[in-house]
Amino acid sequence: MNETPHFPEPAPPVGRRRDIASERPVTPPAVQSEAKGRSGWVKLPSREETVVAIVAVVFLVGFPWCNPGYRFLSLAITTGFTSIALYGLGLQFGQAGIMSVGHAAFLGIGAYTAAIMAGRFGLGFWVALPFSALFSAVIAGLIGLPSLRVGGQHYIIITFCFCALLNIALTNGGSFTGAATGLDVGSIDPIFGINFDQLRNAYYLVVAVLLISLLVTYLITNSSYGRTLRAIRENEALARAVGINTGLHKIGALMVSGAFAGVAGVLQAYYLRHISPALYGPFPSLYLALMVMLGGARLLYGPLAGAIIVSFLPEILKLDPIDSRIAYGVGLLVVILLLPGGVSAGLLDIYRWLLSKRRR
Amino acid sequence: MALQITGLRKEFGGVVALAGVDVSIELDRIVGIIGPNGSGKTTLFNVVAGVHRPTSGRVLWQGKDITGKPAYQIARMGIVRTFQQAMSYRGLSVRENVRIASEHGRSYGGAARPKWDSPDEILAFVGLAGLGNEMAGSMPFGNLRRLGVAVALAANPLLLLLDEPAAGLSENEIAELMELILRFPRMGIGVCLIDHDMFLMSTLCERLVVLNFGTKIAEGPPTLVLNDPKVTEVYLGNEI
Repeated sequence: MNETPHFPEPAPPVGRRRDIASERPVTPPAVQSEAKGRSGWVKLPSREETVVAIVAVVFLVGFPWCNPGYRFLSLAITTGFTSIALYGLGLQFGQAGIMSVGHAAFLGIGAYTAAIMAGRFGLGFWVALPFSALFSAVIAGLIGLPSLRVGGQHYIIITFCFCALLNIALTNGGSFTGAATGLDVGSIDPIFGINFDQLRNAYYLVVAVLLISLLVTYLITNSSYGRTLRAIRENEALARAVGINTGLHKIGALMVSGAFAGVAGVLQAYYLRHISPALYGPFPSLYLALMVMLGGARLLYGPLAGAIIVSFLPEILKLDPIDSRIAYGVGLLVVILLLPGGVSAGLLDIYRWLLSKRRR
Repeated sequence: MALQITGLRKEFGGVVALAGVDVSIELDRIVGIIGPNGSGKTTLFNVVAGVHRPTSGRVLWQGKDITGKPAYQIARMGIVRTFQQAMSYRGLSVRENVRIASEHGRSYGGAARPKWDSPDEILAFVGLAGLGNEMAGSMPFGNLRRLGVAVALAANPLLLLLDEPAAGLSENEIAELMELILRFPRMGIGVCLIDHDMFLMSTLCERLVVLNFGTKIAEGPPTLVLNDPKVTEVYLGNEI
């Protein structure tokens, strides 16, 4: 072997290509404004966020004063508890990136837990609310276990199957679940002398819980935990490589999401006064997925916007159920193609565009 | 020896990716791993970092057996790796990318080295000053590589495993990268490096480990290793 190997001369002076010795300053530039809040546990809302929050609260609280009538007020209540469940789904899909098309199952678990607690053990709404939330969370965590092994589309199919399975179990549960007829639920025990049989009071109860869900979502999204979930959504391998226990946090996100759905289920059961398996089947689940994608899962008001659009639009446009389904299908396609972040992200983009135009 | 790998073997089905490798790495050194494509370099990183479980063999880290531990635990113990593909959280801002890593990773202190006070400090250190608000996915490739290093640094490592950090970079960018890597041992961070750029490897590394078909065929200072007939044969083929 006479040929010299094809390698460069080892260890030449370090500065061959450029003046490597020129030291870059290690001191950071003046810390930019966004980094200021780093010592705080959660990012405080900006001025714009505060304004939007005040408008949202005024709108939600003031709605009954606009004389909506029985039909629209009850529709608003339905929208309210649906949004509560959507905030859970928004968290697991928007932040952690885990989609579910069987989410109504967890509403069902919450609702049936409340109904069985009332029917069998005489435990009312206020006991059922925390217990059902906890129970839904535990079941959501258990159903989430396969998500550690399969991701993406595979897990979506598992959620769909669980939903169908639960439906079959509820339909064949005999007198325990009331079979296909379902179970009756009483009314909410008055608290502080407030009678929740009045529609307006029921509305305020739902709005109160909805505002709490909004607050919880805000706190999670803007804290370190929210960042952890987003890291898992964006790149699971990299998340693990920097020390994130991805499995634990995925199950955690699913459990929080399950708790939201459980609360929504209890509110739904006590509002409808009668629940049946059909409410928690694949079709309602797909509606939840539709709403969260239409409204946008990542922004704070996305789920609420999705619920309002899907619930109120057919009513306002006077569409019959078949037409409205076609409209949803077309609407979803348009949103996916044109506004991948949902309607809320689209509105935000328009706002930013207008802002940049005005500055120019 | 901070990291001691003994008899490490990894099989994927019938394919033997690592056939019993022994390597040890100190914390104040830069060690390079070279070898032709498919020789098991990245598999070695993956097994050490906990991505794959080894078929047999042991990985000792500061005297503790970390063989087969999950990746996130190994990262929290101070072994942090970067990826060949310049990975980042593409949909998040550059600052958030770094902040996430600094909120996890190794939380307890260690050797005397700078403690980063904010993500922006780390960004400035790797040469991404002022880009904190940029969306990671919208940055050019060279900056993504820097971001990869920034994210790894933010996780507070004692040992950095850099998988082809120079791949796809221009001459200037490689020079800047070398300057950056040279600083790590002085900060108490050990570096284990995989790359195909022989200039970079022979300049930076005090010791090279050569792998071929999952076995170590040579080890030592670059000057000796690169002139070893066994090594040149692997790279250039036998004399006809």
